[in-house]
Amino acid sequence: MIPVAVLTGFLGSGKTTLLGRLLRHPDFARTAVIINEFGEVGLDHDLVAASEESFIELQTGCLCCAARGDLALTLQNLLRRRDAGAVTPFERVAIETSGLADPAPILHALMMDGGLAARLALAGVVATVDAVNGLATLARHPESVKQVAVADRLILTKTDLATAQSADLSARLAALNPSAIRLQASFGDVDPACLFDMGHPAPLCAGNAPAWPGFDAHAHAPAATHDAQISCFAILRNEPLKAVSLTLFLEALAEHCGGDLLRLKGIVNIAESPDRPAVIHGVQHVFHPPAWLDGWPSADRRSRLVFIGRQIRQPWIEALILAIEAEVAEVAALAA
Amino acid sequence: MTGELEDAVRALLAQSLEAWRVRGKINRQADATLLIVAGDKRVRIARAPAGLPFRWTVVDGERTRGATSVVGVLRHVRAALDPSHRCLRLRIAPLPPVSS
Repeated sequence: MIPVAVLTGFLGSGKTTLLGRLLRHPDFARTAVIINEFGEVGLDHDLVAASEESFIELQTGCLCCAARGDLALTLQNLLRRRDAGAVTPFERVAIETSGLADPAPILHALMMDGGLAARLALAGVVATVDAVNGLATLARHPESVKQVAVADRLILTKTDLATAQSADLSARLAALNPSAIRLQASFGDVDPACLFDMGHPAPLCAGNAPAWPGFDAHAHAPAATHDAQISCFAILRNEPLKAVSLTLFLEALAEHCGGDLLRLKGIVNIAESPDRPAVIHGVQHVFHPPAWLDGWPSADRRSRLVFIGRQIRQPWIEALILAIEAEVAEVAALAA
Repeated sequence: MTGELEDAVRALLAQSLEAWRVRGKINRQADATLLIVAGDKRVRIARAPAGLPFRWTVVDGERTRGATSVVGVLRHVRAALDPSHRCLRLRIAPLPPVSS
């Protein structure tokens, strides 16, 4: 499988600089890059110098709007050319979104194309945040909030220009996306692994996520904070969840949250598969089939679900799961 | 309605009204059903009678719908109280997640 990473971030936040730097790194050879620019005339592709083994495709028009169907076509075309030997046999794909793009529909488009399924795997989302202007940008532009909210990793750029690390910006980023790993980059200098080595959803420790009431007798006060438009919270569960409960839960989430669910990612202890946890990942009402791990990544066997969404209420999520579980337990008792 | 499941359904409905921004009240009736009163709407939720292929019934005015799970109950209740909402169906993507 060829990993696909999505690089997003607001206008001027340093995506292209970061990408240009990464593409010169030996570890980043054999990378196909798709650069999307808002507007009919692209410029970024001229600003990124790729190594000989990497190459760049350009798309104009915003990926999350009218042109998002083109993304699948571009990827299909790339794969065809790779198979035909017309391009370098690239080992990874990086997609740089336009600065105004909402990444959720892009992820949605990536996930839903059946023709790409056998070849590509979504590696994750990286968002750049300008250390100097990031706070103001987040206050003024809802697109930037979405970009931060859905990211697996946040890269603070232009840290060389910031006179001091903004505590307010850090707090804001932590509020919008407490589960994302945060890195810093000066002049785009960052470990290449940050774009493709994102692994599974970052495990949450008991101290940085609220426990699930009724399941953890030592519930911690919620540490995840909320934004006016987008909230991010995590739910932990001590007891395994039956597979049918998870199915019903995802069905209800899709029906009632739909487009407001920017992302859901998690690792779930399934009752029928206690030694092989399921990794789930969804965007809006579209979910990947669960990926089954060979084993638990740590001694922590709790289910951990991270929600990023617009006006999605944690108490509703908790009540939904409790009701589903109560019904599944009742049905099981009747059948026994 | 009594019991753990009914309590959980009632709690879920209460949270749902808040989430959907629907002003209303949920009352447990003498016949053990749940009655949601929201404006001029009255929605009654009951266990389905034996012999039907449903676990629940949701009565909205003259219309009675069956539901096989609390997820179905929630769908019908929302259709009655928040008709502008379009329920999206869960879709499973063919593209697998994280490669590593």
